[in-house]
Amino acid sequence: MTNGRKGRRRLPILQRSIRYHRPRAPFCGIGYCTNCLVRTDQRLNVRACREGFPTEGIRSTSHAWPSPRHDLWGLLDLLFPRGIDTLRGFRRPAWAAPVYQRIVRSLAGYDTPERVAPPPVPRPPRVCSTDVLVIGSGTSGTAAVDELRTRGVDSVVVLDRDRAANDGAMPGRTTAIFLPPPIPRAAYPFRVLASEGSDRAVLVSSRRVIVATGGYDASLLFPGNDRPGVMTADGAFSFERAGLEPFRRAIAFGGGDRALEVVEKFGDRLIAVVAPGEIGPDLARAASDWAIPLYPRSLILGAGGRSRLRSIQIRARSFGPKQTLHADALVLAHRRIPHAQLFFQAGARMVWRSRIGGYLPAVDARGATSVPGLYAIGSGAGAVGPDASRESGRTAARALIEGAEPGVDLTPPASTEPFYEMQGYYRELLAEHEGFAKWIACPCEDILLRELRRASEAGYEGIEVIKRYTGLGTGLCQGRYCVPDAVLLLSIWEGRPPTEVGSITQRPPLVPTTLGQLAELEVPLSTPEASG
Amino acid sequence: MSAPIRSEYRVVIVGAGVIGLYTAYHLARAGFGPVLVVDRGFLSSGASGRNGGGVRQQWETRATIRLARESVLAYRRFARDFGVNPWFRQSGYLFLAENETELERLRHVHEIVAGEGLPSEILDGSRVARLVPGITPTAAVGGTYLRTDGTLYPFPVVWGLYEAVRSMGVEVLLGAEALGVRSADGRLTGVATTRGTVATRTCVNAAGGWSRDFSERAGLTVANAPTRHEILATEPLKPFLDPMVVRARDGLYFSQTMRGEIVGGISPATRQPLTSAMASSPAFLARMASALVRVLPSLASVGVLRAWSGLYDDTPDGLPVLGEDPRLRGFVHANGFGGHGMMLAPSSTARVARMILGERVDLDPAEFGPRRFDLGQPRRFTEALQLG
Repeated sequence: MTNGRKGRRRLPILQRSIRYHRPRAPFCGIGYCTNCLVRTDQRLNVRACREGFPTEGIRSTSHAWPSPRHDLWGLLDLLFPRGIDTLRGFRRPAWAAPVYQRIVRSLAGYDTPERVAPPPVPRPPRVCSTDVLVIGSGTSGTAAVDELRTRGVDSVVVLDRDRAANDGAMPGRTTAIFLPPPIPRAAYPFRVLASEGSDRAVLVSSRRVIVATGGYDASLLFPGNDRPGVMTADGAFSFERAGLEPFRRAIAFGGGDRALEVVEKFGDRLIAVVAPGEIGPDLARAASDWAIPLYPRSLILGAGGRSRLRSIQIRARSFGPKQTLHADALVLAHRRIPHAQLFFQAGARMVWRSRIGGYLPAVDARGATSVPGLYAIGSGAGAVGPDASRESGRTAARALIEGAEPGVDLTPPASTEPFYEMQGYYRELLAEHEGFAKWIACPCEDILLRELRRASEAGYEGIEVIKRYTGLGTGLCQGRYCVPDAVLLLSIWEGRPPTEVGSITQRPPLVPTTLGQLAELEVPLSTPEASG
Repeated sequence: MSAPIRSEYRVVIVGAGVIGLYTAYHLARAGFGPVLVVDRGFLSSGASGRNGGGVRQQWETRATIRLARESVLAYRRFARDFGVNPWFRQSGYLFLAENETELERLRHVHEIVAGEGLPSEILDGSRVARLVPGITPTAAVGGTYLRTDGTLYPFPVVWGLYEAVRSMGVEVLLGAEALGVRSADGRLTGVATTRGTVATRTCVNAAGGWSRDFSERAGLTVANAPTRHEILATEPLKPFLDPMVVRARDGLYFSQTMRGEIVGGISPATRQPLTSAMASSPAFLARMASALVRVLPSLASVGVLRAWSGLYDDTPDGLPVLGEDPRLRGFVHANGFGGHGMMLAPSSTARVARMILGERVDLDPAEFGPRRFDLGQPRRFTEALQLG
């Protein structure tokens, strides 16, 4: 495993998919997807990427046999090239139903709690109250905190999933998991649940909340889109940081700023930049510095290679020629999706933005949302670039100090925005072929594109119903990597705008949180209002 | 947004959940139509898509046991009859007793259930521990177990019914809200919806958590009270738990689904206000987690994946309301299931359909009739085994 060019470990195959036991290598790198689930001595379903891919102390989950690299159950994938239909299948003969049940059930789940040591008694929860809670300490969050401090607001608590907060109030890696709607007329209307590591719960009562949770890189649909080696830009950066070798020869997919970041970081290891639309001038310039060929307005038609990605087949849009590019990775940097889940939870009014193909909270010019006391800043609120992010943080901090009520000028529905690029991309791609290889529409649950299509053809409409019909979006990533594309496809098939296809309800918690942690919150939460 | 095809229907059903669709199914099977089903939301947006999927036959009242028993038979056949597989799995319901007093109470239920010819069993602590590996020894001195109870996936039941009734000519309008009724001389003559008014002489109120609203829109005061209940699901685990495990004291229930997730709920500590009808609450997450970890400590390391809520349509005696409202001829109740609609739907709606067809049914109006809560009527039946 340590035969990399610089003696670094290649991306390990730590996981098999849940239904067809397809090999999976780390994909998102930020702790959401299921591709690096492992277990430690005390915890199930730990994401190795969150632990920095340690070489010791982690074990693969127990659903692959004998190992995730060589898994006999992988035969299921070969035996069922068109998938297994658990909804319509396994119905006859009647006497076989219990047998089917026993077999299908025995394949469920990744791991079993008995395999880990009894969990340590969770540390008592951290409970505090504050004037302002800032969730996320990236560019905009930090700017907001600085502005608050400068203006004499000292009662500030910062939660961040990756970094130790700059005020030391929270020790870092504290993930906000549940931001319920505010309690009217309470001294501290917001009671935010968070999780520190995996064994401690946090309850922050706050007068006001600023959310600066940014965004993440989307996945992409094509035949074989879950092949080890396909990863998001988030993932590529994270694997590199963890000292792994994410790839040797990669293709970057995207034509904008995010793809530019990928080129700047990995220019020496990129063999192509492929984009669904035009390629921006800055990106084109950077790519030419490294002599990387550009393939603008191109479709990704499929992936070659069995257990690892070996090639990518592309075709210029509008029926251009097909080409095969040989690479061991595809880095997805075409689309960044805002982390809007907390706003959904809080009941804020949301607006579909065609420009990004996703939902953002409706905000006024100062960052106030429709929920009194809740502010949205940074890229998760629509700011583009670091300068705009910083400015949105400072503006919201000032508005908050002045006690601004939500403005009347909340972002109007964005009907004049350009038609979202990826919709046209998928329309063309689907017209091409649906391919023999599996298109994985929902990687966590191994739901195939075919299943979505069938549900749509059977007359089921809207993402909420399709989710319940197919199971898409019900897995461990909480729908982050499947729902955005599914909404676009449904919009194409149903012939109506994405807003009418809808959005799925963001159900708490935001990331899986252990029962042990949540149990510790019973006492603090049973008091009507937390005090200092 | 389409309008109803016809201007007149033989029956209009309000609510496209499992109760409404099953009622439509039984009517269509009897050749009784045309039938229109309207629902304000999308398919499975109400309690039919939000319940824990339990189907049990252990009840305190004999009539309910009979209804549940018939439903179990219907769900055993469901995959074959409807072409959609709800993965109905008969792996039993286990009621836990934490002490002798509770065990005594369960014994009383056991006798009623066994008296109906069902293979109910009284278990001691060690047999409970065998059924629930890893259970805290003090969590149960014993319990009752009925191995023919089971669990299913609620969604496929809705899909199967939806497809079946549509293929039999029933019209289902989604996203259409019933606004009220038209009547003359104490007789129903039509139903007003957001897609227009249709004439009908029979309207079934199968609106679940919204049934009280709709009855009131028809000018009828009812005893139904919608209450919010919450559920959570964990990360999928390798199968280790077969039965649905329940505890009557606090309404705790949990089971492991075919996908391996632990799914369950618990009664709220206080009655839930309805303003936050479909939201989850932090308090529930903590209360449920705490109860679950106390019963099965090994689950402490297991992550909660999501939580959601739904409405129980509660009645004062815990029994559903089935039948025509004498105050408004043609207005038929099929509601008040109190969180048990999925498990009682096949059999109870068969009776509602027969009532609409003008046939006699084996239901005592004093037990299920709409006017049983009127003052002066002694309460003859109550069903206390409510969970979640």
